[in-house]
Order: sequence, then structure tokens, then C-alpha cells
Amino acid sequence: MLVSPAFIFVLVFFVLPLIFLLSQSVLPEDGGFTLSGYVDFFQSRVSRIVYLRTLKLGLIVTGICLAMAYPAAFVLARMPARRRSFLMSLVILPLMTNAVARTFAWLIILGRRGMVNQTLLSLDLVENPVRFIFTETAIVLGLTQLFLPLMVLPLVSAMENIPDDVLEAARSLGANRLTTFLRIVVPLSSDGLVLGATLVFTGSVTAFVTPAILGGSRLLLMSTLLRQKAVILFDQHAAAVVAVVMILTTLAVNLLLRLGRVRQA
Amino acid sequence: MRSKPIVMLTLAVLALGLVGPTAIAQDAQTLTVSIWGFNLDVLEENVFAPFEEMHNVEIVLDTGNNSDRLARLQAEGENSSIDVVHFATQFTYIADQAGLLQPYDADSLENLDELYDWAQDPLGNQAGVGYTVNSLSLIYRSDLIEAEVTSWADLLRDDVAGFVSIPEMSTTFGPAALIMIDRALAMQALEEGEELGDINYDADLAWEALPQLADNLVTTYIRSSELTTLVQEEEVRVAPYASFAIGNLINTGHDLTTVVPAEGAVGQTNMISITAATDKVDLAHAYIDWFISHDVQEAEALDLIDSPVNATVELPEDICALLTCGEILDTMTVLDQAEVSDRLEDWLERWNEVMVR
Repeated sequence: MLVSPAFIFVLVFFVLPLIFLLSQSVLPEDGGFTLSGYVDFFQSRVSRIVYLRTLKLGLIVTGICLAMAYPAAFVLARMPARRRSFLMSLVILPLMTNAVARTFAWLIILGRRGMVNQTLLSLDLVENPVRFIFTETAIVLGLTQLFLPLMVLPLVSAMENIPDDVLEAARSLGANRLTTFLRIVVPLSSDGLVLGATLVFTGSVTAFVTPAILGGSRLLLMSTLLRQKAVILFDQHAAAVVAVVMILTTLAVNLLLRLGRVRQA
Repeated sequence: MRSKPIVMLTLAVLALGLVGPTAIAQDAQTLTVSIWGFNLDVLEENVFAPFEEMHNVEIVLDTGNNSDRLARLQAEGENSSIDVVHFATQFTYIADQAGLLQPYDADSLENLDELYDWAQDPLGNQAGVGYTVNSLSLIYRSDLIEAEVTSWADLLRDDVAGFVSIPEMSTTFGPAALIMIDRALAMQALEEGEELGDINYDADLAWEALPQLADNLVTTYIRSSELTTLVQEEEVRVAPYASFAIGNLINTGHDLTTVVPAEGAVGQTNMISITAATDKVDLAHAYIDWFISHDVQEAEALDLIDSPVNATVELPEDICALLTCGEILDTMTVLDQAEVSDRLEDWLERWNEVMVR
């Protein structure tokens, strides 16, 4: 009985809209069941480029977040509670600032008159300002800053549950720090890894504001393509196809991560 | 214990019963207007409050951007509570094609004849009246660009490469910019003694030149605020700009020069239309007639909210310079929205093809 409200909520506000979206992608207004929307999507060179670019950026951001978050989470999980609590609040601070404001800050930092270019110019490392914004690098930077906390939090939570005894046992049996980390810490924190990687990857491939501002309108991603279809062309069928492809991609990546974890276990 | 909820429910039903007829009576005296959420305080003073007093009605606002409000109108269909809707021409066209609007009756609009011809019936089927106009012309950093910018084709020049921005094809002014570049290239290709013909809506020359233009672009922009930031951060030195953004661009403090290109500026009206769902047709006509009247058009212009389309309005020079009015209207091109909209899907695909390279 207690699960009923939550179940109904998920059903009404998540499952039903998903079913509606899926049906819109295969049941256009002017005809019966068709997969033509998906065929058109994957036959279009533009869509393929946009899809692969989105996938690539999502994977890069997830990889960077993983590489940065793992050592940080390991150290945080082993800290005294009060210090950890203070540092954790610093970690989640970016999540508490407005996405547009945060992204515009990057625009100012990376712009021609920004801090980075001013430093490079003053050190005579470049003759003219370097263009950082409106590049894939800028998008990766912005998304990494945005989603890093989502990787750190589940990893810290998972690593807190690894008993110190286990690590000491590994070391006493001759494992060095790297071996202990790779063969003990990583497998035992794989739940956090899967959760964090799923959150970061899903967030990265569906983000709109950050890619739109830091990448500019020329660097189309799936989210900006979806906007074109939905609010410019009012082509709900094509928009639903883009949305479903995005959902299926994130589900597939989540599944792969889970499978990888099972094998590792 | 159980009686309490029942009593509350009974009271609620009774309350509804008492309030219901009053609410319905009030609804008969309301006019629901769908409009952008900008400058509502000024609109209240210039437009809504006097209209409410004159007609003893209450204006209820539905605010949002074009696409959000159009989506709402589409979703509600015949049950929509919207009586009158303000849209950019592009969205009026989509709404009209979807059967969401009803034609206005010219005889019911006393002030219609006072409007410029292009504002009286922008879509040619009485789907709405143009009540203000925005223009797109060029702005550039005269301290950083040596040779004067005088033409839409100057966006293709080598000396501005890497510092150009244009409106994204998916925006109101995106197709307009491309069409004007095409017109400029057509003018350059004229033999001596030849005259420039009508607008070529296929914009073949501009499409041919688009890869070259793409190489010159820093990025495209969707909102005018983005252009302002790009100019502020010195990423952009030359760009087409919408007239309503001039204040923010000037505030960047850079040495900016505005240009009405040799081929002219391009104008885009915002329109008011009557929804198909409304039964308050007379009141809706009265609202439109009031909005295009000399007094409202003048008040809106003096507050720098809307450029007037009522030809009887005369403005001080300093005000006129900040709006789409005066000499710019002589050479301004107003595009046929049907021609543009019918090509938009294909154009977006072609545009994306070039831009994703």
C-alpha cells in the first residue's frame, strides 16, 4: 500500500509520457504504424553526424568526470566526517548555481577578452587571442564542470561502504596502492560508478543550455536538433524520433555499464 | 471524526454553486490576449487599461514566447480560451495553416486604412494585422574594420573572416538574412544597364555562397541577447541585427556603426489575429482597432516599445532614430511569409548540411 503513491506518480508522470512519446514516433498524424521516422533519421547525413558527435561528447565528458572523480571520491570517503561534509558541500556548490549563469561565466573566462586569453597574451605565449568558445572543447569543459558532482556523490557513497580492513588486508598481502585501487576499490565501488556514469552520460547527451551557449548554434547536438524539429518546424513526429533515439541511447549505455559491472563482479 | 470532511465538501460545493454564476458572468466580460511577456507594465498603461475602461472588459493575459503560445493554442484547439493572439509573422502563418485563426473583417477596423500597405494584411488572407515592425540591417565595429560595410555581401569579405555572426536559420530573421545576401550577390552580378528584379525566394546565389559565409562565421545566434554578448566579448565585429536590440548593442560601449545596406533593410511585422475558437469577435476587432490606432501607436513608439505601422504617426527625430521608422522604410523589404515558410523545412536541412561540416 505504501508504494502505491510513488508507483502511481512514476506511472503517470514518467511511464505514460514515455509511451506517448514512443507512439508519436511510430504513429504520425497522417497514417498508421511506420518506422519511416527512424529510417529518415539514420539516413540523414546531418542526423548521423549530430548523433555521433553527441555520443562522442557524452563519452568524453563521462570519461573525464570518471578520471577526476575517482581519486577525489576515494580521498573524500576516507576523511573524518566533519571535513568530508564541508568538502562535499563544496563539491555540490556548482549544482546550486543557475546553469545559464554558470555557462555565461565560462563564456567570459574563455572569450577573446577572457582570463585565459589575457594570461596567454601577457605571458607572450600567443600573439593573438585564441578562440576557445564555440568549439567542442568548450562544450566538454562546461559539461564536465556541470556534471562532475553527479559522479563524485555516488562514488563517495559507494566507497564509504568499503571497510578499511579490506584495504589493509590487500596491502598486507603485498598489493601496492594501484593494485589495491584497481582490484579492490573499483570493483567494490562499481555500483556508484554505474550510477555516476549513467547520470553524467545521460545529462551530457541531453543537456541543452550549455552546448547551446558554449558550442554556439553551429555545433548541433541532439538536444538542439530536437529543438529545431519541435519548436521551429512543429514536426512532432520527427521530434519524437530524436527524443526516443536519445532515450534508447542512454538506456543502452546504462545497460552496457551494468553488464560490465556484472562481469567484473 | 468522519463528518468533518463531509461538511467541508458540502461547504465547498455550496461555495462553488455561489461563485459559479458570478465567474461565468465575469468571463463574459473578459478578453484573453496571448502576447509576449515583455514590457507588460508599459502595455498596461498604453493599451490594456484604456481599452478595459472604454469597453468595460477585463483583459486576461496569456504570456510566453511564440512557440510556447502556439503549442498551447494547438493543444487546446476549439476549446482554447484565447481570443486574440500576438505572433511574429512566421508563427501567424503556422497558426493560420493549422486553422487556428479566423479572418478579420476589414470593415470592422476603422484604423486599418491608416496603416502602411504592407502592415494591413501581411499574409494576404486577412489572417491578421501587422501592428509593429522590426527591421534587420547591419552593425559593425568601425574601429576594427577599415573598409566601410555597405552591403549584405560584405559579410562574405575576407577581412571580416572569423568575426561574423548571422541569425540562425531557425529564427525569425534567419531566412531573411539569407535572402538579402542573395539580393546583394544578384546586384553584384548585374551587367551595366540591368536592373535588379523581384526577390528570388530560392536564394540560389546565397546558397552557393553559404559555405564561404560559414567559413567567415564565429557562430550563428538565436537570440539578440546572444549577439550582444558576442559583440561585448569582441567575438563579433559585423553582423545583421534586429532593430529592437540596438539599445543593448550600444550599451556594450564599443565603437559600433549601424548601416542600412545598399540593398535595403528587411522588415518583419508582428501581427495580431483573432483565434478561430473565440466567440468574442466584435470585442477582438475592437482590440485590434485600438492597438493600431494613432494614439496607441504613438504612445508605444514614444516609450520605445513598438515601431509604429500607422502612417499618421509622426515622431521626434531622436525617437525615430532608435526605431524602425523614417527613411529606412523607403528601401525596406517586407518578405512574403508564405514563400519563406513553405521553404523552411528544406532550408533547415540544407543549412544544417553546411553548418555541420
